[in-house]
Amino acid sequence: MKNHSMKRVIRFGGAVAFLGLASTASAIDGPQIIKENCLLCHSETGNAEAPFSRISQQRKTPEGWQTTINRMKSQRGLSLKPEHERVLIKYLADHQGLAPAETADLRYVLERQPNVVEQNVPEHVAGTCTGCHSSARSGLQRRTTDEWQKLIHFHMGQVPTIEYLAGHRDRPWFQIALNETAVKMGEGYPLQTQAWSDWKAKPKAALNGQWAVSGFVPDKGEFTAVMSVMPNQKDNYITLINGHYADGSKLTGSGSATVFTGYEWRGAIVIDGRKMRQVFAASEDGKQMAGRMYLKNDEVMGGRVLAEKADKAATLVSVTPSSIKQGASQTLIIAGANLSNKVSLGNGVKVEKVISQSADRLVVQVKADAKAAIGQRTLSVGKQTLENAVAVYDQVARVEITPTESIARIGGNGGPIPKRKSTYRAVGYAAGADGKPGTEDDLSLGYLPATWSLKAFDEVAEHDNDLKYAGSIDAKGIFTPGDAGLNPERKMSTNNVGNLAVVGTVKDGANSVSGEAHLLVTVQDFVKELIQ
Amino acid sequence: MKLSKSFKPARLLGTAMTSLALLGTGLSAQAATDEYLLTVTRPNQLHVIDTKTDKLLRSCDVPGTFGNGGVAPSPDGKIAYVMTNKWEDVVGFDISNCKIVFSMSQSTPKEQVKSIISMAISADGKELYTVQNPVTLHKDHFETQQPRLAVYNTADGMDAKPVRTFPVDRRITKLGYIEATNEVILGGGDVKAINAKTGKIRTLAKLQNWDRSPEGWVPPDAFQMHTIGEHIGEYIMPYFTIKWNGAPGDMEKAEFLWGMTRIDTKTGELTSGEVLPFEFIVFNWLTDPNDSDIVYGAFNTLSKHNIKEGKTLKVHNMPHTYYNINMLQDGSKIYVGGTSSDISVHDPETLEKIGSIQLSGDMSTSDMRIAKVQR
Repeated sequence: MKNHSMKRVIRFGGAVAFLGLASTASAIDGPQIIKENCLLCHSETGNAEAPFSRISQQRKTPEGWQTTINRMKSQRGLSLKPEHERVLIKYLADHQGLAPAETADLRYVLERQPNVVEQNVPEHVAGTCTGCHSSARSGLQRRTTDEWQKLIHFHMGQVPTIEYLAGHRDRPWFQIALNETAVKMGEGYPLQTQAWSDWKAKPKAALNGQWAVSGFVPDKGEFTAVMSVMPNQKDNYITLINGHYADGSKLTGSGSATVFTGYEWRGAIVIDGRKMRQVFAASEDGKQMAGRMYLKNDEVMGGRVLAEKADKAATLVSVTPSSIKQGASQTLIIAGANLSNKVSLGNGVKVEKVISQSADRLVVQVKADAKAAIGQRTLSVGKQTLENAVAVYDQVARVEITPTESIARIGGNGGPIPKRKSTYRAVGYAAGADGKPGTEDDLSLGYLPATWSLKAFDEVAEHDNDLKYAGSIDAKGIFTPGDAGLNPERKMSTNNVGNLAVVGTVKDGANSVSGEAHLLVTVQDFVKELIQ
Repeated sequence: MKLSKSFKPARLLGTAMTSLALLGTGLSAQAATDEYLLTVTRPNQLHVIDTKTDKLLRSCDVPGTFGNGGVAPSPDGKIAYVMTNKWEDVVGFDISNCKIVFSMSQSTPKEQVKSIISMAISADGKELYTVQNPVTLHKDHFETQQPRLAVYNTADGMDAKPVRTFPVDRRITKLGYIEATNEVILGGGDVKAINAKTGKIRTLAKLQNWDRSPEGWVPPDAFQMHTIGEHIGEYIMPYFTIKWNGAPGDMEKAEFLWGMTRIDTKTGELTSGEVLPFEFIVFNWLTDPNDSDIVYGAFNTLSKHNIKEGKTLKVHNMPHTYYNINMLQDGSKIYVGGTSSDISVHDPETLEKIGSIQLSGDMSTSDMRIAKVQR
C-alpha cells in the first residue's frame, strides 16, 4: 500500500521534480554531482569554504535552486539523472539555503499564493526588478556583491532587450542595476548573515509524528485532519492524512514530503483523488508547521494550513467560525487532537452540547446570551487555550472581500494554458466601541458565509460589456474566467478580458452587508515560473 | 517638409488627383519611381509588395530564426537588408529575384552580439551600419560590453566583416543617415549623430538628459522601433512626457504629452518638442508628404493630427492592434501593418480603409519599409 502510493507520488511530481521522494539508491553526494556535471563551465576555486565558482557564492530556496538547475538544463546543456538532480537540489538547499528568519516575510511566493500585492518593496528593486519579477524573487536570494553584479550581467546576456523595456528605457537601466541595485543587494542580502550562521548551527527537529491540522480549500471549505508523518529516508517522510471538511464529509489522503534546509516542508499528497502540493515552513522547534496547500493543476485552489505537532498530547489548533452573534446559537468546529470535551468561551457564552468528537476535531453547539459582552473571547478546551479565538458581536457593520485586488486569466478553449481562477472570501467586522465601522477599533469577525455576484468595475467595463464575457462567480466565491482566444462579438475581437467588481453579501439577521473587491480578468500568463 | 505649402492645393483635389498633382509640381523624379513595400513575417519571409496594385510580388525565405523583422532598403531600392537570427545577422536580398547578395553574422563563440533594431544604410548605399550590443561569453558568466557602431562595406558581399567600429551609448534602437553631414543618426535616450569615418559623436537632441527641471517635467520615454519617415526623407524619434503644472505627482494638474525629435535626413535640419496631448498610444508618427504639420499615428486606432495646432483631426478605429505605419511618397496611401498578418491600406484624407494585403504569417514587430526604385 505504502509503496504503491509512493510510486504514484513520484509520477505526479513531474513539474516540480524535487517534490518527489529522495533517491533510495544514490550514494553520490552533492559536491560529487557538481564535480561530475558542472565543471565544464564552473571551476574549482581551491577555497574549501566556497569550492565552486558561481555556485558557492549564492544561497537560495529549494525552488530557487530548482530554477537554476532547470535553466542549466534548458539553456546550458546540463543533463542530470533525476535522482541526482534531487540529491543536488537537496544538498544545495541544505548547505546554501535561507534561514527561517530570511524567508519569513516572503513565503507567499514560495506558497504560490495568488493575488498578493507586495508590501515594503525596496526602492532599488522596484525600479529595476519588479517589472518582470516579484520583489520576493530577489529577496529570497543571498549573494556576494560580485555575484549580484554577475546576475545583472546575466540578465543583459540572457534578455538583451531588458534595457529597452518600458519603465527601464527612460533611465540608464544597466548602469543603475549594476552599480546601484546590485551593490545595495550585496549589502541588504549578503551571502554571509548572522541568521544563516545561527540556523546552520542549530539542531534540526525531526518532523515525524502526529500532526493536528486545520486548513481551507476554496471548493471544499474548511477542513480539520490528523496528518501522520512517518520517516522514510533522511529528511523524507511518508504522509497519511485523515479528517473532515466542515460539512462533516470525510477527507483522506496519502503522500510524501521532503524537508529542505531543516524546515522547508515540500509535500506531494493525493487527497480524495486530487493531487495537491504542500509548501509549509516548520517552526524552529519543529512543533508547528504553517503554509499553503493547493491543487497541483490549479494552484489558485488552495488555502492556509496550520499544523501542530500532537502525538499524544492534547493539541488545539483553531476554531471556525470565529464569531458568534449576541443571542444566537452557533456550531463551532474545533480543530485539534487528543482534546478534552470541556469547552469554555467565558461568561455569556454557553456550550449547549457536544455534537461530535473525533481524532481531528470537536464539534460543539454554543449559544451567546443576548447581552453577552462584545469582544474577542479566549477558547478553552480542557487545559488548552486559544486567545482571540471567537468574537461575540452585535451586528455586522461592514464586510471586506479578500483579496481586495485580484487577477484571473482566461484560458482553456482548446489552448494549452488552463484558466486561472480567482477565489474570494468575506471578512466581517462589527463597529466596535465607537459604533463607527471603518475605524481602528472595529472587531474582526473572521470569515463569514456570503453570496456572490459580479458587476462592471467602471464605465469602460460597462460599455464593453465585460460582465457578459469575462466570466462567472459561483456560490462558493470562485470566479471562473471566460474562454481564451479572440471573440469576434467584442470590440476589436478582443479576448474575454474584463474589469469587474466582485460583490460579497453577508446576511446578518434581517440586514445584508456587502463588500467589493476589484478583479481584472486578463490574458494568459505565458511565462510560468517556479518563483514568480 | 519644405514642399508642404506648394502641395496643399493639390491635396484639396483629393487622392484620385494625386498623381496628376505631382506631375504639376514638377517632381517628375517621383513619378518615375516605383515604390515597393517591404516587410517580414513569421516564420521568416521577406515580402515584396507592389504599391501600384497592392499585390504581393514575391516572398523570399530569410535564413535563420525570425528576429525582429527589421528591414532597411538600399537607397536605390534594389536591395533589402533584413535583420534575422534573433537580432544577430543581416542578410541582403535583391528584391527583384530574392537572391542573397550580402550577409554578415555578428556573434562569435566568445561574444554574443545583438542589434536591437539598429540598422541603416549610407546615402550612397556603400556602407551598412549596425549598433552592436556585445556580451562576452565567459565559461561561467556573462560580461556586458560597451555598445559600438559597426560599419560594413555592402560590396563585401557574403560573410562580410566590420571595417570600422566606434563606441556608442547604450540602448540605441533606430538608426538613420544624414546626407548633408554623412552622419549616422543614433536614436537612443538622446538623439545623437556619429561620423562613421571618425567615430565623432555629437548630440542632436537631449531627451533623457534634457535640461528641464524634474519639478516641471518627467524625463521623456523616447523610443522608436519602426517607421522612420523614409517616404519623405525624415527621421522621427517620438517621445512621451508629463508636464507637472502643479506639484510633481499631482496628476490632476498634469499634462500628458507626445513630443518628437524630427530630422530632415537630407539637410540635417532638426526640430524637437512637444506636439500633441497624449490621447492615443501610437508606435510611430508619420508626416504627410504634402503638409509637414500633419502627422499620422497607428496602434489600436489610425489617427491624423495637426501638430502645429496640437489637434487631433480624425480617428479611425482599427479592427486589431497594428504596430506599424508607412506611406507613399506622394501621400496617396497609408499602409498600417505589423502585429498580425494583414496590412490595412487607408486613404490619408478620410482615413477610410481602401484595401488590404493578406500575408502568409504574422508580422509581429517587423518593419514595413518603402523601397523606391527608379524606372
